Amino acid sequence: MGDPQLTVEDLYVRFPTSRGTVEAVNGVNFTLEKGQMLGIVGESGSGKSVTAKTLMNLLPRTAEVDGNITFEGDDVRAVAKERRKHFWGVKMTMVFQDPMTSLNPVKRCGEQITETLRYHLGDDKATARKKAIDLLEQVGVPEPAKRVDQYPHELSGGLRQRVVIAMALACEPSLLIADEPTTAVDVTVQKRLLDLLDGLRRDRGMSMILITHDLGVARGRCDDVAVMYGGRLVERAPTETLFADSRHPYTEALLRTIPRIDQPSHTRLEPIAGRPPELIDPAEECAFAPRCRYAQPDCLGTIPPVGGVRGQHEFACFHPANTERGRQALDANLAAGQTVTGLQIQANAGVN
Amino acid sequence: MAGTGHAPLRDDRDVLLTVRDLEVEFPVGRNEVVHAVSGISFDVAEGETLGIVGESGCGKSTVAKSIIRLNDIKSGSIDYQGNDLAHMEGEALRQIRPDLQMIFQDPISSLNPRRKIRDVISEGIAVWGNTKGSWSQERVEELMVAVGIDPKFGERRPHQFSGGQCQRIGIARALALDPKVLICDEPVSALDVSVQAQVLNILEDMKARYGLTLLFISHDLSVVKNVSDRIIVMYLGKVCEIGNADELYEHPRHPYTRALLASIPEPAPTVDVSESDIEGELPSPIHPPAGCRFNTRCQHATDICFTDEPVMQQVGDSDHYLACHHPVEVSVSVGER
Repeated sequence: MGDPQLTVEDLYVRFPTSRGTVEAVNGVNFTLEKGQMLGIVGESGSGKSVTAKTLMNLLPRTAEVDGNITFEGDDVRAVAKERRKHFWGVKMTMVFQDPMTSLNPVKRCGEQITETLRYHLGDDKATARKKAIDLLEQVGVPEPAKRVDQYPHELSGGLRQRVVIAMALACEPSLLIADEPTTAVDVTVQKRLLDLLDGLRRDRGMSMILITHDLGVARGRCDDVAVMYGGRLVERAPTETLFADSRHPYTEALLRTIPRIDQPSHTRLEPIAGRPPELIDPAEECAFAPRCRYAQPDCLGTIPPVGGVRGQHEFACFHPANTERGRQALDANLAAGQTVTGLQIQANAGVN
Repeated sequence: MAGTGHAPLRDDRDVLLTVRDLEVEFPVGRNEVVHAVSGISFDVAEGETLGIVGESGCGKSTVAKSIIRLNDIKSGSIDYQGNDLAHMEGEALRQIRPDLQMIFQDPISSLNPRRKIRDVISEGIAVWGNTKGSWSQERVEELMVAVGIDPKFGERRPHQFSGGQCQRIGIARALALDPKVLICDEPVSALDVSVQAQVLNILEDMKARYGLTLLFISHDLSVVKNVSDRIIVMYLGKVCEIGNADELYEHPRHPYTRALLASIPEPAPTVDVSESDIEGELPSPIHPPAGCRFNTRCQHATDICFTDEPVMQQVGDSDHYLACHHPVEVSVSVGER
């Protein structure tokens, strides 16, 4: 396979605030192969969007970033000043959650696509317009020749997001980062947008990072899925492995807490106890330990390093679920009726 | 599509709320109106959870708001214990409102940021004074404990709580006046998945504890299935299909219901996923299509669908009703895919 297209090593992102330093990303490592679709799943505050914005150099000036990001041989954090203008938005582009706020409301859709083409590729007006119409057609916008002269408010949410995707594809990027691209749209539209992104990725041999809070979306579309919690990447595996044989207790809990369409109605859900982790001056312990049914004394002393099989199934846990060590930890906690952090647990919510 | 007809209405005595031919329109200038809800009928039995699903713009929130009269009703009736809510005014309406309470989508903006949560929860009791139980510290604490908020945090203000906690405070506030009906408009859409389950479980617990009847609106089909006894599928201001939750998801007959179920990232095992390729865009609710409103996007549409509006009909003799000229036959399960 050769070198991965994208390598992120020991990425830390901190935001100093008046209440203390927010440790948004805490030592994230991952790689992305060419043509791969990686899903990053996590809840609000898990650091998934901050990671994406770091890749795209979109963080505010106050952010303190540390770590290495290599993309196609370039050190992303040290791109020379004169190359910067044509680095992001050309090889690496991004699609955001809300199509209404990522489009300029007072410019026609076509202008927003041609702007990219003329600035980055130096196309003349007529060529750029022709390309824009082509792009709109490729992303499945009906009547592209008419839509190109319309304003964003004249389009539905699904069509707007298609225009945003067309903008992102204009310079034929080799990596597309999509941050919750379908969160603001209905399920039928979501299905069509994801089909579109998947098709474009295959046709163009493009790599994609799909950031989502929806495990179903990640499961249906990604080659690999990475789960983030409290600014750390806690588990990463090929999609089927992650869902069938999860190791990190957070992944396991997340899969159990979601209502499933194949369960009968009124199936009692298993909530995850406690609340999301504090990101300001977090303790030197596993961030999930206070909510974890497997928690043992060693989880509180140190942050579990990422272990498992590198490049295949990686996870950061001392007592992983679905392993002998995890079962022992859980049995001990069930016998005591509580975990080392004082979380009350009961046997009826046990592991199958 | 079309939810004209009263077929799904039940005549049992334990029906608590009956909506008949509800029509709601909103003027948008130039003598045009948005046909938000166009003549729908359904009922809710006492102690039942009725789920309403559909995409944005299908009128599901308008139905909810109409029931507690938060928007004007063009025509139709809403029968609640012998009273027609649609035509009540003034003091009579005020007297009945404590029975019907609502929780909203955004938990944080639905709480007054400048008030202590103890006051937020108890405001209804303070307003209603003696008629609905007098204000007492114990009552507020009981409600807070019921929704899992430690009463010692009563002096705090909404910004000191997380989204999930704010939604639980919203539930406590809605329960303060001992309502009969609780209307939940997308109550978990703004919450992270790990707290979504807490709120859904609390709603189930509160329903059992206080004998509530729930109207649960959501665009998330899995969530709706989890909480509901009976489900209504809406499209562009009309009802497509009504049925028992498990039955509806196992044997969806309306092409739109099937398309919706096939669009979920992990589609329901009973539905052929190729059906989710519904073409085109949602038609304008200002000029909805004649005949069946789904005809512009339906793979099964024939001439009759463009001229005649389908009427709600019972499927066999089960609690399953749909409005379609060409319902999908599901006698042979397509589940083995």
